Amino acid sequence: MLKGMTRLVSRVHKLDPGRFLHSGTQASQCLVAHLNNQVPNESPRAISRTLENDPAKHGEQHVGQHYSISVQELKTVFPHGLPPRFVMQVKTFNEACLMVRKPALELLHYLKNTNFAHPAVRYILYGEKGTGKTLSLCHIIHFCAKQDWLILHIPDAHLWVKNCRDLLQSTYNKQRFDQPLEASIWLKNFKTANERFLSQIKVQDKYVWNKRESTEKGSPLAEVVEQGIMRVRNATDAVGIVLKELKRQSSLGIFRLLVAVDGVNALWGRTTLKREDKSLIAPEELALIYNLRKMVKNDWQGGAIVLTVSQTGSLFKPRKAYLPQELLGKEGFDTLDPFIPILVSNYNPKEFEGCIQYYLENSWLQHEKAHTEEGKKELLFLSNRNPGLLERLCAYL
Amino acid sequence: MAAPTVKVARGWWGLAFGVRRAVLRLPGLTLVRWSRYGPEYQDPQIDKEYYRKPLAQLTEEETYERELRKTQVIKAAPATKTSSVFEDPMISKFTNMMMKGGNKVLARSLMTQTLEAVKRKQFEKYHAASAEEQATIERNPYTIFHQALKNCEPVIGLVPILKGGHFYQVPVPLADRRRRFLAMKWMIAECREKKPRRMLMPEKLSQELLEAFYSRGPVIKRKHDMHKMAEANRALAHYRWW
Repeated sequence: MLKGMTRLVSRVHKLDPGRFLHSGTQASQCLVAHLNNQVPNESPRAISRTLENDPAKHGEQHVGQHYSISVQELKTVFPHGLPPRFVMQVKTFNEACLMVRKPALELLHYLKNTNFAHPAVRYILYGEKGTGKTLSLCHIIHFCAKQDWLILHIPDAHLWVKNCRDLLQSTYNKQRFDQPLEASIWLKNFKTANERFLSQIKVQDKYVWNKRESTEKGSPLAEVVEQGIMRVRNATDAVGIVLKELKRQSSLGIFRLLVAVDGVNALWGRTTLKREDKSLIAPEELALIYNLRKMVKNDWQGGAIVLTVSQTGSLFKPRKAYLPQELLGKEGFDTLDPFIPILVSNYNPKEFEGCIQYYLENSWLQHEKAHTEEGKKELLFLSNRNPGLLERLCAYL
Repeated sequence: MAAPTVKVARGWWGLAFGVRRAVLRLPGLTLVRWSRYGPEYQDPQIDKEYYRKPLAQLTEEETYERELRKTQVIKAAPATKTSSVFEDPMISKFTNMMMKGGNKVLARSLMTQTLEAVKRKQFEKYHAASAEEQATIERNPYTIFHQALKNCEPVIGLVPILKGGHFYQVPVPLADRRRRFLAMKWMIAECREKKPRRMLMPEKLSQELLEAFYSRGPVIKRKHDMHKMAEANRALAHYRWW
């Protein structure tokens, strides 16, 4: 009876103010009529939204429901890192709603119970294409941002090993290569995401950039980041310094560090970058990759490392490969070895219903037949409950 | 007489029963787009609802029809016709017309991206509009597609008729299928030729479809030009003999 009451209450609460702002009188009349029609035949309709917008309070009862992230939070927490189709969806619907799913809940449970005195635990989200690894990672990042952790989010490590126009020889180490563009873009986004921490963390070494510029010991990390953004030539070294300092200082207890890398199999794969004499560059010869590998090792305390392996965007990996062993290769798997694997699979029937319900509520499914049972059965068959495929199917229906 | 009989014997060898032998081999006449099915072949019944009707509920004519179909030979269903609820013959025809070199995968993906682009543009307009305007904004890409093509269909067309050694453009009423074909053809031609170099086809098509939906834009102009030419040549209308 209590369950029925809570379902009724959450149905009433579905009229959150955001929707009234951009739906007019006619739409509100439709909503009222909708509610009136809903109350008598409640049971067959799935609930697709929840009012619980704090990831810390998400639990088993919220599986299959969408929670919304406000636009300001989206700009600060996710300057980069959301999948491009999701960004399009956010722009179209004027709201950002993530679905609460079991793998993310499992990870949240582990993160809530981390012991920060122990070395950082590595979690790897793996699964077939389109199952929702990146969005689960974003759910975790949102949770950590709300809990005031420092987020070190690399949106797609594959972008750092391919299609790089300008490779410079590194100033710090002659054997390695710099990627000024990628490093400076990443530094800008890192700054947006973690403004408040940059002034609190002090650098513990003196760094000399060139004859005229240097950063003294004890100056805030913000200076290093500024230097990297302004002098694009030193951006890669700035990234290296940021990573080193954060790793050293995370065990001191001032902040908790979350290292989130999407597509971590790029760090141990092959690159398509070539030197001037057309010989291939190995990933460890790229300074960004070299420093990131040090970050992903579990020899520091005071945080957690959440990784994703993906075949999309990977180089020279077969399309059907999705297991960590296949994608990371021997070297990568041995380096990451004690890790907790978390499988992200297709939607279960409840989540599928929730997703369809969400699309229907936003009137995204415009085709008349999509509202019928036949249409739903066909969508189920065509997408096999794969979230990515379902999203692409519903886009043109 | 030996030569024709030899030809006939050679012709009959290896052909299945019912497949029409290509008899009309006139010089300069290539058999293209002629169906190889004989007249006794029936079209396949793709509709799922037809088969779902329980046998008890069928009327006498329907039971007779079902029994009759059991004895008839039926053509193979084309691969493009599905029993999907989302199937639309007009969209399929448009996709086929957009296809180049048999690349149906590409044509279909362009079509779906166009529908998605139309939908997203309309959603943007919907969210930016006030309450009264929201009721008038159409967000269904399929209705927009059908209405746009209907708006582009010419009512009357021109046909070159040879009279006295000269070809005259004579205004002529067009059949439904010819009108639909012309609308689709003009739409695709417009998007291919007048597209800016770096713009992709789905974006340009979605733009043109939306403009045609509101009865403005270059395709509607071409339809009006056709009507004006027909009006100008109306003195030649009596050259038509059908």
